[in-house]
Amino acid sequence: MQGFALYPFDPPGDVAALRTDLRGWLAMNQPQDDVVARANCWASFDPDFSRALGAAGYVGMTLPAQYGGGDHHPLERYVVIEELLAAGAPVGAHWIADRQTGPLILRYGSEEQRERYLPGIAKGELYACIGLSEPGAGSDLAAVRTIARETTEGWRINGQKIWTTGAHFSHIMLALVRTEEGSERNAGLSQLLIDLDTPGITIRPIIDMAGHHDFNEVFFDDVLVPHGALVGTRGQGWKQVTAELGLERSGPERYLSSHALLAALVDAAGPDPDPAVAGLIGELTAEMWTLRQLSMSTAAKLAAGEDPMVEASVVKELGNAFEQDMPRRVQAIVDCAWDGDTDLAKLLRALLIASPSFSLRGGTREVIRGIIARGLGLR
Amino acid sequence: MLCDTARAVFAEASATGMTPIEEAGFDLLLVSEDQGGFGGDWGDVDAVLQIAGVAVPELPVAEFIVNEALLAAATVSLMAGAMAQAFALSIDHVNTRQQFGRPLGKFQAVQQSLAVMACEVRAVDAAAAALAARLDAVGRDPLAADFEIAAAKLRANRAVGVVTAIAHQVHGAIGFTGEYDLHRVTIPLMRWRSAQGNDAHWAQILGRQVGGFGGRGLWEAMAARGA
Ligand SMILES: Cc1cc2nc3c(=O)[nH]c(=O)nc-3n(C[C@H](O)[C@H](O)[C@H](O)COP(=O)(O)OP(=O)(O)OC[C@H]3O[C@@H](n4cnc5c(N)ncnc54)[C@H](O)[C@@H]3O)c2cc1C
Repeated sequence: MQGFALYPFDPPGDVAALRTDLRGWLAMNQPQDDVVARANCWASFDPDFSRALGAAGYVGMTLPAQYGGGDHHPLERYVVIEELLAAGAPVGAHWIADRQTGPLILRYGSEEQRERYLPGIAKGELYACIGLSEPGAGSDLAAVRTIARETTEGWRINGQKIWTTGAHFSHIMLALVRTEEGSERNAGLSQLLIDLDTPGITIRPIIDMAGHHDFNEVFFDDVLVPHGALVGTRGQGWKQVTAELGLERSGPERYLSSHALLAALVDAAGPDPDPAVAGLIGELTAEMWTLRQLSMSTAAKLAAGEDPMVEASVVKELGNAFEQDMPRRVQAIVDCAWDGDTDLAKLLRALLIASPSFSLRGGTREVIRGIIARGLGLR
Repeated sequence: MLCDTARAVFAEASATGMTPIEEAGFDLLLVSEDQGGFGGDWGDVDAVLQIAGVAVPELPVAEFIVNEALLAAATVSLMAGAMAQAFALSIDHVNTRQQFGRPLGKFQAVQQSLAVMACEVRAVDAAAAALAARLDAVGRDPLAADFEIAAAKLRANRAVGVVTAIAHQVHGAIGFTGEYDLHRVTIPLMRWRSAQGNDAHWAQILGRQVGGFGGRGLWEAMAARGA
């Protein structure tokens, strides 16, 4: 099928040693207290862990050494990320900075921005959030209205972002804003890198249905940032954001967020599982294995410098479906009290509640299917 | 080259039966060159069987090329080929058939269905490719590739329901006729889901194997078996 070639996943170096070293490091350094934090662990915020991980060289791995990075191949980073997620390590604090903001600054940022932000990102100390969504701009992202007017002192920003994950603990926001007054749709948009301690910014928590404070509303009231806050080319924000979303959609987090539940199911079932549970474990394993192949192939295509927009969307679509299906199917066949205190019960409840968000964050299911349909030439 | 040959030979065979396939020596595909064979790998088998799955679904091509212990793996390739064809027919149809003054493919509901189908087709293709890589890495020892054979056949089986349903839905009545080609791939897909182990068969085998690995062992096994 055209455009669907599989890319071989072939990281340089000794991959087995990379895994062994990291597993050894995790055995010493991963906090073991909370089983629920191991599920959906890229939302688990633990700055001490992030800092230690950075010091061990596992953050900012692909950034150049001159900016404090590890100069590693992107597929080596992929191996590290899948190990961290499979172990349920609390990578939430530095997650967005490491996954997308750092690479985007490297690709589009000025020398000054690189020197200013990348070393902190690579240390696991500087955290970032993504300022895309607004009250009037959800799936229809081109409806962004937050405006930045260029003045002699810099950019003056007015408007509002919403659903901003981690804004309350982040140091910077990479925001999509309108820089041309009166521009429409995806023209006239630019990306600004905003220090969140700038006067005029108000961050208000939004508590999610699980009772957690992960996302926020962010208000900009005549916020002045320097001219140097512009990332990349003025007016090219839409194109840059699209590239960023490719990094966001295809990683191993799209099928490993719920791995703690599958592992707990396997442990609870024991070495001689009853047929109904064995069948479920078999089906979930086959799906996970297939998703891993798709995700690795997409990562390899990205590493080869190509644009895997459609492939990345396929990974997100199937990965979201897998991870939403899993807790429902486990609940349907495993006898386990809703408020039980076994690992399995706690993970099941947490993921049943968290999973509706999987096909919303990072692009809704319908939007993702639309991107695939465009890739098929239907739109 | 190999694919071109396969296409030509299978086209002839679809009218006359196995003879052209036997004469072309496809049973030598996996035989090493010093033993007078073609010296191919499972990647070649996958490519040839994907074509066979579309061109000659009723002929025992897989049985002719590979030994019995690898027939489940071979069936995955037949299925991947047939699904790709069902998908290609569907895309072609929605781009040409017009209703309400527009090609069907311009309707969002139809687009979303085809996106779902594309994901399934791609998943099975990926499963077939990963299985091929594993088989080649372990010298085509079915025991060393037991996990991958189970996972890939099970994944392919599960895709059959989605792919055949959407392909027929977007085709409308024309796809239900004996004259139109769609059933030439969808009926074989239904048959192959039961052949060489249905969903429950492989789910039990894989589930029991994973039970032996344990929760953490599942990840370690998967990571150790590829990349
Ligand atoms: C947990 C979580 C974390 C998030 N983190 C961030 C973040 O860090 N930064 C950020 O910027 N945003 C973030 N978001 C926001 C997210 O990107 C949006 O929720 C998403 O883009 C959808 O927008 P919406 O919620 O306004 O839904 P809407 O756009 O109102 O959509 C509602 C429903 O209608 C469907 N729909 C909309 N338009 C169409 C159409 N044309 N055709 C068919 N169906 C359609 C959608 O698919 C969806 O099912 C987060 C969201 C969640 C849930």
